[in-house]
Amino acid sequence: MSDNPSFVLKGILDVEIQQKSIPEIDPNEVLVEVKKTGICGSDVHFLVHGRIGDFVVEKPMVLGHEAAGVVSKVGSRVTNVKVGDRVAMEPGATCRKCEACKEGRYQLCPDVIFAATPPTDGTLARYYRLPSDLAYPLLPNLSLEDGAMMEPLSVAVHAVSNLGALRSNQSVAVFGCGPVGLLCMAVAKALGASRVIAVDIVPSRLEFAKAYAATDIFLPPPMEKDESRVEFSMRNAQAMKEKLGIADRGPQAIDLVLDASGAEVSIQTGIRIVKSGGTYVQVGMGNPNVNIDMFVVISKELVLKGSFRYGPGDYPLAIALAASGKVDVKPLVSHRFPFTQAREAFETTRNGKSPDGKGVIKAIISGPDVDINEA
Amino acid sequence: MFDNPSFVLKGILDTEIQQKPVPEIGANEILVEVKKTGICGTDVHFLVHGSVGDFIVEKPMVLDHESAGVVSKVGPGVTNVKVGDRVAMEPAATCRKCEACKEGRYQASICPDIICAATPPTDGTLTRYYRLPSDLAYPLPPSLSLEDGALMEPLSVAVHAVSKLGALRSNQSVAVFGCGPVGLLCMAVAKALGASRVIAVDIIPDRLEFAKTYAATDTFLPPSIDKGEPGVAFSTRNAQAMKEKLGIVEHGPRAIDLVLDASGAEVAIQTGIRIAKSGGTFVQVGIGNRDITIDMFAVLCKELVLKGSLRYGPGDYSLAIALVASGKVDVKFLISHRFPFTQASEAFEITRNGKSPDGKGVIKVMISGPDVDINEV
Repeated sequence: MSDNPSFVLKGILDVEIQQKSIPEIDPNEVLVEVKKTGICGSDVHFLVHGRIGDFVVEKPMVLGHEAAGVVSKVGSRVTNVKVGDRVAMEPGATCRKCEACKEGRYQLCPDVIFAATPPTDGTLARYYRLPSDLAYPLLPNLSLEDGAMMEPLSVAVHAVSNLGALRSNQSVAVFGCGPVGLLCMAVAKALGASRVIAVDIVPSRLEFAKAYAATDIFLPPPMEKDESRVEFSMRNAQAMKEKLGIADRGPQAIDLVLDASGAEVSIQTGIRIVKSGGTYVQVGMGNPNVNIDMFVVISKELVLKGSFRYGPGDYPLAIALAASGKVDVKPLVSHRFPFTQAREAFETTRNGKSPDGKGVIKAIISGPDVDINEA
Repeated sequence: MFDNPSFVLKGILDTEIQQKPVPEIGANEILVEVKKTGICGTDVHFLVHGSVGDFIVEKPMVLDHESAGVVSKVGPGVTNVKVGDRVAMEPAATCRKCEACKEGRYQASICPDIICAATPPTDGTLTRYYRLPSDLAYPLPPSLSLEDGALMEPLSVAVHAVSKLGALRSNQSVAVFGCGPVGLLCMAVAKALGASRVIAVDIIPDRLEFAKTYAATDTFLPPSIDKGEPGVAFSTRNAQAMKEKLGIVEHGPRAIDLVLDASGAEVAIQTGIRIAKSGGTFVQVGIGNRDITIDMFAVLCKELVLKGSLRYGPGDYSLAIALVASGKVDVKFLISHRFPFTQASEAFEITRNGKSPDGKGVIKVMISGPDVDINEV
């Protein structure tokens, strides 16, 4: 195809499908015909607010970054993939030369070119240009939808395996049963966690987590009138410890806590239930200013880590976990839309459910002229 | 001596020197005649508030824990020290048998059965005799005085924060918020371990001046907070001013690898998180208000590692002593005031006021043991 229809964010809540020029590729790049793109909360946030923190949408930008497709063209020096290969796309091209890149933490590269982070166009287009080493061939048992799910799965792998350093038989609690939280639970289970505790305030999401990857679930009590968040979190943590038999030390302690909700009370509760000397990983983005009990952090010598996207080795591990059957990403695809209905896809994701009442976990938008049932 | 005068906290702002029985020692324990004890902020806090965080004083307790003395008696099985040895005292006996102890993290945070001097309900070291597991008594090299020995406790806190948790490597850059004794010792450890830059931050100009003469390469005095300015807005402004004045960036050679907060102040913590480099480490060693608002977005986007630091663990005391014995760290400089045992109460007053009646600012106040001359080193 010689055209490149693209789903463009023109301004807050203002989207349009526009033609854009087909990118030229350099010798080490590939041109991918994008077949499937999943919607991430960050895409919705840019749509609704026009910014996330210091990342501000100043000119029209193509949305989407969780994608997979088919290699359409390869640069002259590309050897790892060929035209026609189905690939998962890691959407962050880094500089390779700075300290962060060279020391193995390319996720911190200050010059990263990341799909759908201003000012870079995203993957909701026919074509996307990518350094060839960021195109990962999909094994035959992985569909293109699975391929698109490799992006959020890599976020989970980065948080649980890389930063959380989860080891077999350790116990994990995950706050927030959205797609990233669920995938964190799946990774924890796949890596041999003895206990995977899911926490959410929406009962149906907890039920789903239980059916998917959690060994235990916890529904926080409602907040009382005039109760401060700090008081609530203390009460919540106490209730959680009692109900689930959680201790601060020893075999009933929680080794690793992840927050995939961004909610202050979850973060406060998480810090209280993690074991003495434990690790807490923040992967969910919510309000920037979060009040935490620093005495607990000090007296338990906690290690609190911020988790941002993914780094070296995360995509390969994600694909291996999915290909070997240790993680199943298919149950998370709740809604499918053709490219021409990209706007409705975002509406539905924003509403949290489709008009028929079905709750959204992950909505996948097919590429231009791609059938939604083409796997 | 057969008596054991002890400085007891009976209740809030209520102290008294009382006789207590001389402790019996068992196998692998020693009895130390305590010669010098430094006052720590937490001791003052127990005196004034009756608690520190979740540690609450419920019955009378002997204060203090930063001590050195002379071995008075050794139990069966003790081989590392003998009667008459001058020793630094690591005042936290752990159980040895739990998972934390066995996996190399015996520190207070993790061993559930730790017995810490002057952490309720355990009596502290402001007394004549203190009983200790023998492996927690470290012989002092001849070049170290007993006062130096008492300073090994806060120095070990600094070693734990900077070297163990901060994992500071040569040529890295460090910023320390808070120029009290612990902050100053953190700077000294950083310098001793080869930091390229040691930045001291404090709101009191005198303390910054002292830090500059002691171990800091750079100092920063935050601007004043505007009337009605929210803490978060101030911290953002403060961090920006600090970056501009000191040429600090978030990536590359001018970035700050390690930030320590030894103040416990919310705006210091908020500023520290902002000035740490992308991928940097922030160690919280100062204890202040519990509820601290932090910018989690900054923590997340910079993939910061925020670590709580409590006291010290395996290897920290040994490194502290080695740093002083080799001359890489000078602790004598921090002793600002000396009191005899009979004036322990005044010593606490002065520490609490932050200065003595003659106007001299307090850094570290040293109390000698019963019948020990304040000039005896």
